[in-house]
Amino acid sequence: MNQPQRKEEAVRIADTSGDQNQYLTFQIGREMFAVGILYIREIIEYGSLTTVPMMPEFVRGVINLRGSVVPVIDLSARFGRGESAINRRSCVVILEVEGINGDEEQLQEIGVIVDAVSEVLEIPPGEIEPPPSFGARIRADFIAGMGKVQGNFVILLNVQQALNTREMAELAAIVDAPKDARDY
Amino acid sequence: MNIELALQTFLDESRELLSDMEQILLDLESQPGESELQNALFRCVHTVKGSAGMFGLDHVVDFTHVVENVLDRLRAGEIKLSKALANLLLRCRDHISLLVEVPEPAEAVDLQPAGNALLVELEPFQSLPASGNGQTPQPQNSEHGKGDLWRIGMRIQADALRHGMDPLGFIRFLGTLGELVSVNTLDDGLPRLDQLDPEACYLAFEIELRTTANRAAIEDVFEFAGDLYQLQLQEPGSAPEAVAAPATTDMDIVEAGSREGKMQPADQADAQRGRRRKPVQHFRVQADKLDHLINLVGELVIASAAVSLDADRSGNSTARESAANLNLLVEEIRDSSLDLRMVPIGETFQKFQRVVRDVSSELSKDIELVITGADTELDKTVVEKIGDPLTHLVRNACDHGIESPAERSQKGKPALGRVHLNAYHESGAIVIEVSDDGSGLNRDRIIAKAVERELVRADAELSDREAFNLIFEPGFSTVEQVTNLSGRGVGMDVVRRNIEALRGAVELVSPGVAGGTTFRIRLPLTLAIIDGFLARVGEATYVVPLEMVVECTELSAEQQAVSNEQHYIKLRHEVLPLIRLREHFSHGGERSRRQNIIVVRHGGQKAGLIVDELLGEHQTVIKPLSGIFSHLKGLSGSTILGSGQVALILDVPALMHQVAQHEDVANRGIHPNARPRLSASYS
Repeated sequence: MNQPQRKEEAVRIADTSGDQNQYLTFQIGREMFAVGILYIREIIEYGSLTTVPMMPEFVRGVINLRGSVVPVIDLSARFGRGESAINRRSCVVILEVEGINGDEEQLQEIGVIVDAVSEVLEIPPGEIEPPPSFGARIRADFIAGMGKVQGNFVILLNVQQALNTREMAELAAIVDAPKDARDY
Repeated sequence: MNIELALQTFLDESRELLSDMEQILLDLESQPGESELQNALFRCVHTVKGSAGMFGLDHVVDFTHVVENVLDRLRAGEIKLSKALANLLLRCRDHISLLVEVPEPAEAVDLQPAGNALLVELEPFQSLPASGNGQTPQPQNSEHGKGDLWRIGMRIQADALRHGMDPLGFIRFLGTLGELVSVNTLDDGLPRLDQLDPEACYLAFEIELRTTANRAAIEDVFEFAGDLYQLQLQEPGSAPEAVAAPATTDMDIVEAGSREGKMQPADQADAQRGRRRKPVQHFRVQADKLDHLINLVGELVIASAAVSLDADRSGNSTARESAANLNLLVEEIRDSSLDLRMVPIGETFQKFQRVVRDVSSELSKDIELVITGADTELDKTVVEKIGDPLTHLVRNACDHGIESPAERSQKGKPALGRVHLNAYHESGAIVIEVSDDGSGLNRDRIIAKAVERELVRADAELSDREAFNLIFEPGFSTVEQVTNLSGRGVGMDVVRRNIEALRGAVELVSPGVAGGTTFRIRLPLTLAIIDGFLARVGEATYVVPLEMVVECTELSAEQQAVSNEQHYIKLRHEVLPLIRLREHFSHGGERSRRQNIIVVRHGGQKAGLIVDELLGEHQTVIKPLSGIFSHLKGLSGSTILGSGQVALILDVPALMHQVAQHEDVANRGIHPNARPRLSASYS
């Protein structure tokens, strides 16, 4: 079942000061991404996922996270790069974002599938460059900046935008609409 | 407990009493002169005044006192409850409810003008005191200096102050009943200073009160204090020696004294009051505590499902038995804890007495509201959300349904229009009906309108039911004139949406021969836990709400062959439209060799859901789906199975609607009438 794998670690790291500049880095496809550590709730093993029908490709389904039902997003599909293939190192990173629930805005847990979780890094603001206007092959508003780590760039995700529940719900509505007279 | 909490209790009680008062006033109109009701009415206001007096809310006391005087005369039969007076008293009630919410007398200044205006109107109904000095609504004056001398011994429990029951408040309030001739403080209960608990009350009082009030009225002053105060009332004219009893420091003697034979009148009064309160005993629980409990019960249900599953797998018969026992108990706990949150719908219905009354006077129509099935219970969370849609329907009935008195008499109907609210239970759901005996709906007008708004095609053949239910479509409103009451663009589609958000359904049922309209709302009893039926489609598990399941049957090979061609089968001489969940939800994978049909019914329609395997009943704790899924149709939520897997709950009405729409789209293409529409199954 879905046991939290590295929760203790995440908590410990979050407790150390200077967490504003700390980022969790992970791999999707061949690229490295980073998300501010304050968004991260926990990281769990990939498994026992329930598919929700009639949703866009990037909504992988829902999981049972200790009694609450949490949606899982496939970031690779969200970036328009096709579904990520599940491997041995695939994880679900549980993030906490502002989102709509009914008519209310509130903090929500959302899981994202990543191909592998790497490490927690400190990236000082001086090492972060503004997002390139093109060339990243990802919608510009999903990128908060480009972090320089050991001579390489990691993409700092704008989590609020990449996991914008309102936008995702609207995309889902388009998929759901009777696009054709389905043949039964 | 502190004063804040006591004040909160006061507010809660006052709100309750004031809503009672409204109810009683409305009841009195239909049963004029009913003395029990008149007494109850008096008691309501009296208690509010009494409690307000204790908290020193003089603005409330001053106003309520006048109202109380009028009610006192009413119950004494000196004045009659005319329509005008009832109206006035209702407005007074509204004013009191405003006053009560103001915590400080000084802050009530804004309400003063309105209050004064009401007081002036009350003036003619007020008793004119013998002194003739009745101009100012000064309550105390009129009663001062006359009446009998009562001696009151007052003993106070040590923790009275901790409960916010300051004796000073009571004494001050006693003073409003008449004249306090003397107040003697008995401090012989005081311990030595080093043993003294500064928060405790050690005092007793001996009071001489000159008043015209009777014993019950004096005792009522202390009603709020419950057991914290012990009273000994010495009736006028009795020997004064007996009063000395409370002066004794020994508590036991006081209590013993009050049990003795000579105190019988008091005992009798107590007994009477006891009888009045006995039938139902309530106590308040914070709503969120209850919600928390129900959430926990939900988790318990899931956990116990997991235990049963494990026990079944283990093959250990004792474990299985214990798990079965546990399951039974959990089911009972589930039912009784959900029952805690059940409230009768009557309270909600009663509010509409006022609505109907106000609306009918605004429209100058004569309308009465008839309520039946007020005892029908449903979940508090549902009740809270049903108010708005109901208000809309009731107003609609008054405004558009019931004709003007002139029109009615022309048609030979009684001038008094009637709106009927009814509720009853039906197979795991509550049904609420709002009906009127008005002009009913004009089928042709509805269709004309719907065609004009492009909701249906002009050549569409609609059953009566389909035609009438068009009014629930967005952007539909048959009345061109926008009145003050309804037709403000918030149409029936909002009503339907609100009700569907509660997993309910609303429909218009056939208007009778005599005209009139009936709206029927079906709602689930609770939003937290339902009985579900599990079915497997491919690798996914779905839950169908059990109350919608009619039967389950196997899809025979022959039927399977037929149904591949067409999308319905014949089941016992009935056409049953089919919904293939596998295809509908685009699940890949192979069909299982034997397929099953779950026959579901919603709002008179039947449909067959085709699934791979039937897995049986399941107590389903509803877990809401994230906002991402807000546009998802056909699924209403999710639940967690004993295995820890998430299963999705099918929204049968939406599913049926959706499939009908898909087919509609298909039908408009090449084969106009190649397939029967899903909705063809009822007629």
